[in-house]
Amino acid sequence: MNVRVLLTRPWIWGFAAAALVWVAILAISGQGGGQTVSLALSLAPYLVVVGLGQMLVITAGPGNIDVSVASVISLAGFVSVAAAASTGSVVLGVGAGVAAGIAVAAVSTVAILGLSVPPIIATLASGLVASSATLSLAGGFTAVPDPGLRELLNLRPAGVPLFAVAVAAVTAAVVAVLRRTVYGRSLIAVGQNRRAAERAGIPVRRVIAATYLASGALAGLTGSLLATYIAPTADLGTRYLLDSVAVVVIGGTLISGGRAVPTGVWGAALFFILLDGLVNLVGWSTAAQNLLKGGLVLLVLFLAGGGARTPGTSLPSLRRRRRPAAADTTTPGETTDG
Amino acid sequence: MHLDNIPPREARRRGPDGAPVVTASGVTKTYGRTRALTGVDLEVRAGEVLGLVGHNGAGKSTLMRVLAGLESCDEGRVTVRGRHAAPGAAAFRGVRMAYQETSLCPDLTVAENIWLSSRHCLPRLRRRRAAGAAARRRLDEMFPGHGVSPRDRVEDLTLARRQMVEIARASLVDALDLLILDEPTESLGPDAARSLYDHVRSLTARGVAVLLISHRIGEVLSVADRVAVLRDGAVIAERPAAGLGEHDVLTLMGAQVAERDAHRPAPSAGLPADRPVVAELRGATGSGLRDVSVRVGAGEVVGLAGLAGQGQQDVLERLWRPARRDAKVRATRAYVPGDRQRSGVLPLWSVAENLVVTAMRGIARRGLRRPAEEREVVRSWVERLAIRGGADAAMTELSGGNQQKVIVARAFASSADLVLLDDPFRGVDVHTKTGLYRLIREEAARGRSVVWYSSENAEMAHCDRVYVLRAGRVVAELSGDEISEERIIAVSFAEPDPPTAAGRAQGAPGRERPQEARNHG
Repeated sequence: MNVRVLLTRPWIWGFAAAALVWVAILAISGQGGGQTVSLALSLAPYLVVVGLGQMLVITAGPGNIDVSVASVISLAGFVSVAAAASTGSVVLGVGAGVAAGIAVAAVSTVAILGLSVPPIIATLASGLVASSATLSLAGGFTAVPDPGLRELLNLRPAGVPLFAVAVAAVTAAVVAVLRRTVYGRSLIAVGQNRRAAERAGIPVRRVIAATYLASGALAGLTGSLLATYIAPTADLGTRYLLDSVAVVVIGGTLISGGRAVPTGVWGAALFFILLDGLVNLVGWSTAAQNLLKGGLVLLVLFLAGGGARTPGTSLPSLRRRRRPAAADTTTPGETTDG
Repeated sequence: MHLDNIPPREARRRGPDGAPVVTASGVTKTYGRTRALTGVDLEVRAGEVLGLVGHNGAGKSTLMRVLAGLESCDEGRVTVRGRHAAPGAAAFRGVRMAYQETSLCPDLTVAENIWLSSRHCLPRLRRRRAAGAAARRRLDEMFPGHGVSPRDRVEDLTLARRQMVEIARASLVDALDLLILDEPTESLGPDAARSLYDHVRSLTARGVAVLLISHRIGEVLSVADRVAVLRDGAVIAERPAAGLGEHDVLTLMGAQVAERDAHRPAPSAGLPADRPVVAELRGATGSGLRDVSVRVGAGEVVGLAGLAGQGQQDVLERLWRPARRDAKVRATRAYVPGDRQRSGVLPLWSVAENLVVTAMRGIARRGLRRPAEEREVVRSWVERLAIRGGADAAMTELSGGNQQKVIVARAFASSADLVLLDDPFRGVDVHTKTGLYRLIREEAARGRSVVWYSSENAEMAHCDRVYVLRAGRVVAELSGDEISEERIIAVSFAEPDPPTAAGRAQGAPGRERPQEARNHG
């Protein structure tokens, strides 16, 4: 794969940006390049896991988004720590966290498919349900996270966090699901053109339900592990709402659906974590950080929409939905025939 | 501006004395490695209808875009009224084009769409009302009884009505020089087509030039004054339409005129008793249908005919999603949509991925795909239907005809026992169609059942049995030798009471009614 081919891969930009920020950190602080990477690698996986779920949802097509992830992370944190403390089993604890995520996603799914509520509203509502559950759990919460799991999450043989390796494996699994399973292909088809997918015999509603449940489960998993890694708090997941959407978009996944780029989520997550480090180093406030991130997302969307001239690399997010595009695309098409 | 005012056709013919409106000389156009136009010389004269015919891929779309000033040409020149004009120049303002796959904004209303494209000739003040009035006036003029309200959102309109709005939109300009119509009647019913061509004649009588592109050769011959045949990116013949036969044109286009009856089955009366019924509607009523009973036997090709929008698609819908008790479908199903941009093409995928998406489910084991088997299926179908560009081409790079081949192959490549065709061969060239007809018969011979709605009555000759629908009812069931274009047209129009507004209101339930009632009553 030569450089030119590499540049057409949508996931490359997240990694490139991450490398750029890393160099900037190195230049400013003048020390500990390896340490910075190691730290980023231990924080980024949490964002990657929730980002992968968000990516699946966004891939399901225009309008699909899961804004309940932040509340799910916070809720799952409490649920899993409580379950682990009361049963004494870490596995059960994490399982309970995942189950909490699935339960919240089930509420969204029923609202989206059963009541035809737009996904952003449905997940907002189920997110509210989740955060009120979190608040009632948080009052007088005394359980502490399992020290064994925390140690495992902190394990860094040769500076490489074990957890990052595990999440890399999860990412590879998501890639395989999207490429090799009927569900994955169906999801991508639904995201490109829901009507066409329905006419092609794909059970669209089942695919969409499975996708939201998967996103809920992954957010639940993130919450469980994050609560063990840091501590269960009511605003544990807050920053993950914007960030999960942002890493998906920056990673090269089409915001209008139909193309998922799991590898890109990694690049973008590393970029975001490093960016946090850089901004802290420079001494910016959280507000300024968020401003920067929001601007970056807009910039990427602008580039994706405006820079879609070259075929192959094109991100036809905007073009696809216009009718005249149909006439446009048939014109060169006619010629391949003549 | 009505029929009476138009001089008879022969008197109208101006021959070569009409001044050229748009002239192309030596025009070439290349996209990547493909040469779309290889040197076109064409002249469209004032007051004439020029018919442009050619296979899918002959370069018609490209030529139109060049003539309309939407695209530049590599070599040669385009002149408008004798003056050289660059694409986008003001000279092209009087050249308007109605696209086959309409260019309307789906989320806007009809009036808003009209405003978008004709704002320079509409008053700025109270523009909504002005655009709405202009749209209504032009639609009334072109398609009496169109049933479109300027306030309708384009997305909610049927394909036929969208097409009407598209054509009206194209003709709404203060000084129309040339009107380009790209397959204008593909989605229209015969009535609407007739009134469109009446309007076209009144336009030419006023000195407007009309360029008509259509696969319906008969229609071109009856409407056009001259016919230009495009083949491999060049005009290979230009003849007066008078005295030219359909067969001559097809030969010029390079088609081998297919024998339609070659695969015709032996005549049979009704559904043969020995055939198991795979799908059945029993007295289906509601959502556009009234007491419709349809039976489909194994290995049978069942046609749904009649004028467009009489409930044929509702029958298909019931068979595709048999939710109610009046539908009994025992077979696995596959669907071939007619509106390929909206419900066929998966635009980000290659031909192979588009083709195999339905079959994938049957090939897969426990939810895991089997790539080798899929590739084999794709390879055999790309070969069988001779899909240009091959399996790895991007779907959107293909011509319309080839896209349609892929979508037909998608359904037949699956293991479905019952294939539902929703008028899938609109705008597909003769060659491709003939191949697909053969495919349908072959697959039926293997025991598959096909239910086929077509707006082109000639296609029904490939069916074993045909149900003719009118206003949501089955008005006739034809089989074997009874199936002929003339017969279908006869039953589609024949009615106990004449089709007056009152009679139709009584007889036609369903979604067509409310809008018409709103406009006329």
